[in-house]
Parts: sequence; structure tokens; C-alpha cells
Amino acid sequence: MKILVVDDSKAMRAIVKRALSTLDRVAGATIIEAVDGKEALGVIEAESPDLVLSDWNMPEMTGIELLQALNEAGSAPTFGFVTSESTPEMHELAKTHGARFLVSKPFTPQALDQALAGAL
Amino acid sequence: MDISTVELDRIASDIWSAMLGLTLEPHYDAPVFPPDERVATGIVQITGDFEGAVTIQLTGAKAREVAAVMFAMEPDEIGDEEVSDAVGELANMTGGNVKSTMCGTCQLSLPSVTSGRDYQVSVPGTAVRDRIGMTQDGDLVVITLLMREDA
Repeated sequence: MKILVVDDSKAMRAIVKRALSTLDRVAGATIIEAVDGKEALGVIEAESPDLVLSDWNMPEMTGIELLQALNEAGSAPTFGFVTSESTPEMHELAKTHGARFLVSKPFTPQALDQALAGAL
Repeated sequence: MDISTVELDRIASDIWSAMLGLTLEPHYDAPVFPPDERVATGIVQITGDFEGAVTIQLTGAKAREVAAVMFAMEPDEIGDEEVSDAVGELANMTGGNVKSTMCGTCQLSLPSVTSGRDYQVSVPGTAVRDRIGMTQDGDLVVITLLMREDA
């Protein structure tokens, strides 16, 4: 399994990667990274990840713009948000565009595992 | 917009506990840093139904310690870029949770970070609506909610 973590914060990418490394559900997965939606588009095309975990608010291209672009290209992998913003409107928008879950920061590895359980 | 629903202390405690494994304690004195203390400030602005900003301030040493926890490294291995990234992410999470608590339609800016000694942070057109001080292992952490005065 290959998982792409998209976040403009290097610290948050490290935290998400560390949380993933504790989960049996994704044991042995290869974790790759992108710093924003724009870079993620290229990484997804080149690496074909099985799962994308994306922040929402990023420079260049936001997470929801990334998901929209993937949908338009007809190539969206399993997609979930990990974001500090979590309004009902955002949940609805994410769901409308096919995101499988939205995990709110702060999160625990258990919360991430629970979200992944419904998506993988 | 009912900003009384925003519990900065609860938001901050949840973030520090879940993401860093660190406990924030109440701080009963004035939330002010000594003038000679190096202080890092992370700030995000909120626009939309609520107009304002959220800042988080901590000592330079504590900021380095937090970055070390986030990157799972030793404090002396952490560079200025990592410190800035970590403080920015703290501001992003704090502001994002404030926004989620009280905003219908709002936008959160990307975080900005600055650090130095004896400086003031102001966002033109806003006033302080809430400011709390907490401590982590004895070190002061200050969180401020600013609101546009005509909002």
C-alpha cells in the first residue's frame, strides 16, 4: 500500500506519518509526501497512491481543489482530509466531492484509525 | 456571532494534549512575557461571518521544544525553519478550531510566524476580545482572540 500525505506543514506531515506508523491497518505501507495540492497532483500521477490524506488549507492549491481536480481527471484515489477546520459545511463539501472522511486536528492515532476503517 | 462559545483554554489544552502529549495548566498571573524574553508568535486571520485573528505566543525555548516533539527530534537538532513551521501549525490548529466553533462561512488564512524580544502584535482594525495565559512545565503560553471592531 502507498499513502500520500499532503500538508504544507512539515511538522504536521511528520505527525501524520508517525500516527500512521502505529496503525496495524496500514502496517508496511509506503508513505510519500507533497507540500500542497499542486505538488500532490504530480505525485499522484507519478506514484498512483492507494490513499491520499490531505490538509484543506494550503497555498497554491487547497485540498478541496485537489480533490476536484482529481475528480475532473477521473483519477481520484481513496481520499480523506486531515484538517484543523471542521465545520458542517466543510464536511458536506468534502462528502459531496467524494472524500471518504474528514479527521479534525487535533487528532489521535485512534481517531485516524477509525476513519481509515471505514475507507480501506 | 456568539464569541462567548469560544473556550480558548479548552481548545489549546486539547491540541497540546492530543498532538504533543503535553499538558497545559492554568496561569493565574497576567499573561505577559518579560521584555528580555525571546517570544515566538504564530498568527492566523479569520474572514467571513467572523472577522478577526488568533495568535499563539510562547518563549523561543518552548517553541523549540514543541518543534522537537512534533519532529520527534532533540531540541538541539531543530533549526529555525522547523521552529517556525511548528509554531505556524499550532496557530493553524488553534485558529481552525476557533473558526469551527463559531463560524458558519469563514475563511482561515495561512499562518504567519515571527519572533523577537519586546514587541507588540497588532492587526489593524481589531481589538482583543479574549486573552488567556497557560503554562506548560512552568513556561508561559499566551493565546489571544482579536475581533474586528466594526463586526
